[in-house]
Amino acid sequence: MSAGQTLFLACVDSAYALAVPLAAVLYFRKVRIPRPPVGTFNSRDIVVMMGFVLAIPFLYLALPGAALPVVLGLVFAGGLTVGYQPVVARGLLRWSAILTLLAADVTTRLLLGWDSPVYWLANSCVVGLMVISATNLNVQGGMRLRNVAWFVLLLGVYDLTFATVLPLSQELADAVQGYPFAPSAGLRVGGLGAVIGMGDLLAYSLYTTAAYKAYGRAGLRTALPLVVVFGALVPAVAPPVVDWLTGHTPSLIPAQVCFAPAAFIGFLVLRRRGPERRMRDYLARADARPAPGLVAAVEPAA
Amino acid sequence: MLEAGIRQVRVALAMVLGRPINPRLVERLIEDALATIEEFGSPGDDVEQLIDGPFADPAERRDLQTRALQRTARRLARRSVFYRERFEAAGVEPGALTPDSLRNVPVTRKADLVARPHDFICGEPQIVTQTTGTTGAPARVWLSRYEIELWPALIALSLVLRGEARPGDCMQINISSRATAAVQEDIEVFRLLGAATRVVGQVPPDESLDHLLDTGGVTPTLLSAYPSYVAQMVSAARRRGLGPADFRLRGVFLGGEVLSPSLAQAVRETFGVDQVGDAYGMTELLPVGGRICRQRHLHMDPNMGYAEVVDLETGEPAEPGRLGTLTVTPYFPYRECMPVFRYDTRDVVRALPERLDCELAGVPAVSQVLGKAGRLLDTAAGLVAPRDIVEALDELPGTEWPVRHRAQVTDGKLHVTVVSEHASPVDVTERLGARGIDAVAEVVRLGPDEARALCPLRCDLEEKTFVGGAA
Repeated sequence: MSAGQTLFLACVDSAYALAVPLAAVLYFRKVRIPRPPVGTFNSRDIVVMMGFVLAIPFLYLALPGAALPVVLGLVFAGGLTVGYQPVVARGLLRWSAILTLLAADVTTRLLLGWDSPVYWLANSCVVGLMVISATNLNVQGGMRLRNVAWFVLLLGVYDLTFATVLPLSQELADAVQGYPFAPSAGLRVGGLGAVIGMGDLLAYSLYTTAAYKAYGRAGLRTALPLVVVFGALVPAVAPPVVDWLTGHTPSLIPAQVCFAPAAFIGFLVLRRRGPERRMRDYLARADARPAPGLVAAVEPAA
Repeated sequence: MLEAGIRQVRVALAMVLGRPINPRLVERLIEDALATIEEFGSPGDDVEQLIDGPFADPAERRDLQTRALQRTARRLARRSVFYRERFEAAGVEPGALTPDSLRNVPVTRKADLVARPHDFICGEPQIVTQTTGTTGAPARVWLSRYEIELWPALIALSLVLRGEARPGDCMQINISSRATAAVQEDIEVFRLLGAATRVVGQVPPDESLDHLLDTGGVTPTLLSAYPSYVAQMVSAARRRGLGPADFRLRGVFLGGEVLSPSLAQAVRETFGVDQVGDAYGMTELLPVGGRICRQRHLHMDPNMGYAEVVDLETGEPAEPGRLGTLTVTPYFPYRECMPVFRYDTRDVVRALPERLDCELAGVPAVSQVLGKAGRLLDTAAGLVAPRDIVEALDELPGTEWPVRHRAQVTDGKLHVTVVSEHASPVDVTERLGARGIDAVAEVVRLGPDEARALCPLRCDLEEKTFVGGAA
């Protein structure tokens, strides 16, 4: 891997790792998602989420090539309409925007090819919006930083296992690359390419938003540097460093292997500030009890 | 969150399909509700639909009611000797009943329950409870283990979602210890909510006040009593110079008798509570109950039973504005062991239009209970309801609650005798006149035993203790 490629990867991944979580926090501050009468996120939901994480790669690999984009497209359309209903209340307008976005993804892929920067930007836009929606469904649904920290730790173990013991991660990455609605964000310019998985972006967004909900600005100040450094920079520079140290270039450094321990330590450090704020504390400090939909955000005290 | 969603769907399906509801499932939903409130401070959106059911749409309501009535009737025809005979005698096909054809089934009266209790049994009896007997011979109602477990769970879920009770609360129970089901139910409800109970019973009111003031253990934050008993507590508290600052009460739940606005206000002022609940319930109708809205309509729970008003004169369903007796059919799977069908409570209410504009407009309603049918006063000027007299007399200046009175009609004229130390006959006629009631008033001074004999109230089901003697 050339120095230019490493630099490109580090810059692009850092940009996504910074932009998507920040956008998720902004959404968290500005928008209230309607919630069911009864139900809040708990530790058993982590088990369910991990079940999905375990099952989805096999589903991806099992699906015939043409079916995968269709399934992903339907999932994205459903996720986007749930997440953005409070933002664009009018169904026709919302669905028009979603379908336009999805059509742009498919069209740019078919017309311009999988290595077109325009396709990558369109696909990244879809993936980013989806991650912001999923993050807020969970965090506004009661997911706590403790839940996220454990989830990310389990993801780290999972990634390490599937990158080394059962080398499925690379196979999966290869399988979904270049399809419309590929579950990853990235950019290709000339011979340079950078990709960051949707799962990784979701982990970073969940961690950042949950940290903000739990500890306000202090949580954000802790989470964002951890995300950028251990979620984007370290995985980007790790291959050349390993190559320099061992003479062998690893084909894949799973980001969660780097991020998970740092995120968990970050959680332990933040926890020393006191118990996590609940949604009710956050809303009370925001001095508003927002109805579903867009709200005027007031910065809660850290 | 996912589990809670699945549990809600499972409970909703059981309700819609009329299958027995697993009490454990409802108990887990209570835990989910408590966790939700812990996280968010309140339940989520559309909580009213979860509590009151999808009854805002009349067509949907009618469909659900028809299916529930048919399901309940079919089961009774199979399992209840009394109703098998009754349906056959009436020539009614239980599986084809509708709210319109329901009138073909004769109403069930308390006398039927008292005379043939065993012929009503449809399940495995576990515990018996009985009515207080204030309106005649007490009726015994057997409950199954399923009912004993399910009802408190459903009530606890409703209480927590409405914000009427929460963990850390302590309910002081001042209802008669003979109301076994209600007492047992309250204890279980508060256990499920992680709250405490003080079962005090109808001891001398001063002792109940001592319990309210007791800071050892958990001090009561909620109180459950009959209106006449809480009236005695109000009077005792005022005699002792106690006021809102002395109590930690947050809510008072009353039922079983007429609660006048004056007494409700006195309860608020004396105990410093905002919430004075006036619930409608009856042992024979369990678990069906009713709530009073701010416009003082009685909204019967449509999830658990079918309520109708049977016209006092025609015996047919009453048109809006007409007086009739409240007749209720608790549905299976909520009532299982000793169910009743078209139970005539003899409580007189006024039928109301279907469309109302109160905060509970989505739930069918009738007027507040005006009194027992046998106690309506037929004067030359028209019918006078016991509620009107109680509400007027509770407004008497300087009155000590509960106000005891006797009302009777002689030669078409209403005569009201009131026990009072301070009020005059003029005060009484003025208060009644303000409500359009023309009456001859008499004020008498009687000792406690004579006053009880003149006008027995539920507070007279008093329980003796040694505390007074020891003091």
